[in-house]
Amino acid sequence: MKRKWIATTLACSMLATMLAGCGGEKGADTQAPASDAPAGTTEDGESAGTVETGELEGEITFWHSFTQGARMDAVQAAADSFMKLHPGVKINIETYSWGDFNTKWNAGITTGDLPDLSTAQNTGEVVEMINAGVVAPADNFLNTFGRDKFSEKALEDMTWDGNTYGIPYYSHAQVMWYRHDLLDAINAEVPETWQEFYDLAVQLTNDDTYGAAFSCSTNDLLGARYLNYYVTSGGGSLLNDDLTANLTSDLAIEGINFWVNVYKNCSPAETVNYTVLDHATLFYQGKTAFDFNSGFMISGVQSNTPEIAEFVDAAPLPKINADDPDYSAEATHIPLAIWENSEHPEICEAFVAYLLQEENYIPFLEAVPVGMLPAVAGISDTEAYKANETVQFYGNAVDVISKAIELGNAIGVDDHGASVQASYLTSQGIIESMFQDIITNGTDVETAAKTAEDQLNEIFDMMID
Amino acid sequence: MKYKEKKDYGRWLWVLPAIALVICLFVYPLGSQVFYSFTNKTLIKSTYGIKGLSNYTAILADPSFWLALWTSVKWTVLSLLFQMLIGFSAALALNSIKNKVARQVYRILLIIPWAFPTIAIAIIWKWLLNGIYGFIPTLMVQMGFAKQLPQFLSTPEMVMPTLVMVNVWFGFPLIMVNVLAALQTVSQDQYEAAQIDGARKWHMFWYITLPHIKNVIGLLVVLRTIWVFNSFDIIYMITGGGPANVSTTLPIYIYNLGWVNKFVGRSSAAAVILLIILLTICAAYFCVLNKWEKEADS
Repeated sequence: MKRKWIATTLACSMLATMLAGCGGEKGADTQAPASDAPAGTTEDGESAGTVETGELEGEITFWHSFTQGARMDAVQAAADSFMKLHPGVKINIETYSWGDFNTKWNAGITTGDLPDLSTAQNTGEVVEMINAGVVAPADNFLNTFGRDKFSEKALEDMTWDGNTYGIPYYSHAQVMWYRHDLLDAINAEVPETWQEFYDLAVQLTNDDTYGAAFSCSTNDLLGARYLNYYVTSGGGSLLNDDLTANLTSDLAIEGINFWVNVYKNCSPAETVNYTVLDHATLFYQGKTAFDFNSGFMISGVQSNTPEIAEFVDAAPLPKINADDPDYSAEATHIPLAIWENSEHPEICEAFVAYLLQEENYIPFLEAVPVGMLPAVAGISDTEAYKANETVQFYGNAVDVISKAIELGNAIGVDDHGASVQASYLTSQGIIESMFQDIITNGTDVETAAKTAEDQLNEIFDMMID
Repeated sequence: MKYKEKKDYGRWLWVLPAIALVICLFVYPLGSQVFYSFTNKTLIKSTYGIKGLSNYTAILADPSFWLALWTSVKWTVLSLLFQMLIGFSAALALNSIKNKVARQVYRILLIIPWAFPTIAIAIIWKWLLNGIYGFIPTLMVQMGFAKQLPQFLSTPEMVMPTLVMVNVWFGFPLIMVNVLAALQTVSQDQYEAAQIDGARKWHMFWYITLPHIKNVIGLLVVLRTIWVFNSFDIIYMITGGGPANVSTTLPIYIYNLGWVNKFVGRSSAAAVILLIILLTICAAYFCVLNKWEKEADS
């Protein structure tokens, strides 16, 4: 009887141990909450990002999405030197592409596999993280480091219920890119209105070059981004004041028709299924005369078709009427976020401060000059930053993008502030699906827009508490 | 009697780890999938409630689900049909090569597509078929087969046939290798006896070859049906299910529901429906296979 009892007990304990390994949710729920305790950092006078730390000890995991060699190397070098300065600290760096990162943290909510510190694709993603309750407020860091060292708009994009949840790492904004050699060849000026842009794009479309591409793969956000350009240029928004989707306003319908015409008359047919990278590669390779993107365009052109790099320049996004006020449709501040489950927020904060120190920050920004503009005040005035050849050569583009950063917010944030709805405008592929439906199936624009609007509103209802 | 009882309990202890593994790796995932299909669970919220059959009714009322199901059926039937035809023909051709070295060389050459990782295949074909600078469209224009670059991956009518072609190219070697192995088990004596009796080649194929290998073919059809119906990577990486969902199969539909829209409950319900469909198809196949086996035994 006794042996039977032992055998049964053993069996039960083995089964319980194995089942415990399978259960992810409870593990995630019971993880230690982030400490609100001070990070042990003190502000260091005038020097941006120079923070003294106490004796740090512990291990953190840092997820970032800098998959390109130079940026990855710059972050790794900073982590290595930080670990040398703090022998008790270990930083485990894991790199995921932007898309994989979203999937990874979504799954991590169930499995408990979440980092201590991470980047995020944009401020919208930070709001998604806030909605999921996985990121910790960064106010402690920001107050210590100095809120005034960051752009007010950047912090506004990441502020929710009075707390700020991200630390801007670098900034960029959407502007119009063009080839001035192609414009010179037809004696054309840089377009200022959407109509001028469209006419020139049609004129420049020939056997070798397309005037402009319109892409709308449902695996990316280009449809929403381009529609947002047009709607914002007319003073509108893709969200109503009550944060429901707005794709059926006169301005939105006009915008949808505009981009469908661009697709039909000056874009390669294949772009109906193109993602951001596929799309940008067309401009990198000199296949398109115009494009809309951030300063990452320059490094793309330099590495793909260096012979046309000198002819590339940027201008503000076109307006509906030339005398409309200046605007910016989309500015992005790539944030660093400290996660709620981190057992060492003090190490995360000290490391972020270290990354933002001039001697670490400038080499990082130089990995993609003009593509990544400083999010920390004063850096762009330093001799080290200004000495970069690309920054010097593309001075006009830097000015155009900097102005767009000053004026702009993330898509959907505009007058409504940060919201999960704003983030879902670009992450669901619904606006892209609407464009594909119109282009491929010939669905009436109003009908397709109403269907997409209803789909977005259904998602807003289901996903937002 | 007492001794016997102790022995019975002991053996359960030894198989317990295996049972626990099955529970963890099979019963738990399947059970949780079925359970979540009755809830409104989302990917990024930890709270959820039981919602009965609402996910199932929502999916069955969604035209995109039926479109994805129809696309999956076309994708599976056409892929399987052409993989079987080409794989079977290649196996017969290889089997008729008498030179062992030549047969070996051809077999290695023909199996190459199967040896490639799917991601590499998808990227290569996406590049080859690109409608702006792709090798195949450019070649077709240069050789005069087309006036403009054919848009294999964006013209709705061409997308599915193109993807099926890629899948056939990728999948036929598996059929070929297995059928070839089965062909080599057919006794030569039977062919010689049939020849003496004056049988034609077609008769030998129909009455000797086919009955010998039909169980292998049946099993291949079952396996390939499940694999092809469930396959996700090739389509997702080449077209992402577009344009306008013309290449969205059920697995891509389920993925989008779960990972893009983050509706875990609804995506689980769609996965359960997919499971039921596949189980039904497999049950039908196995009925036929059992019948063949019984016929062979008798």
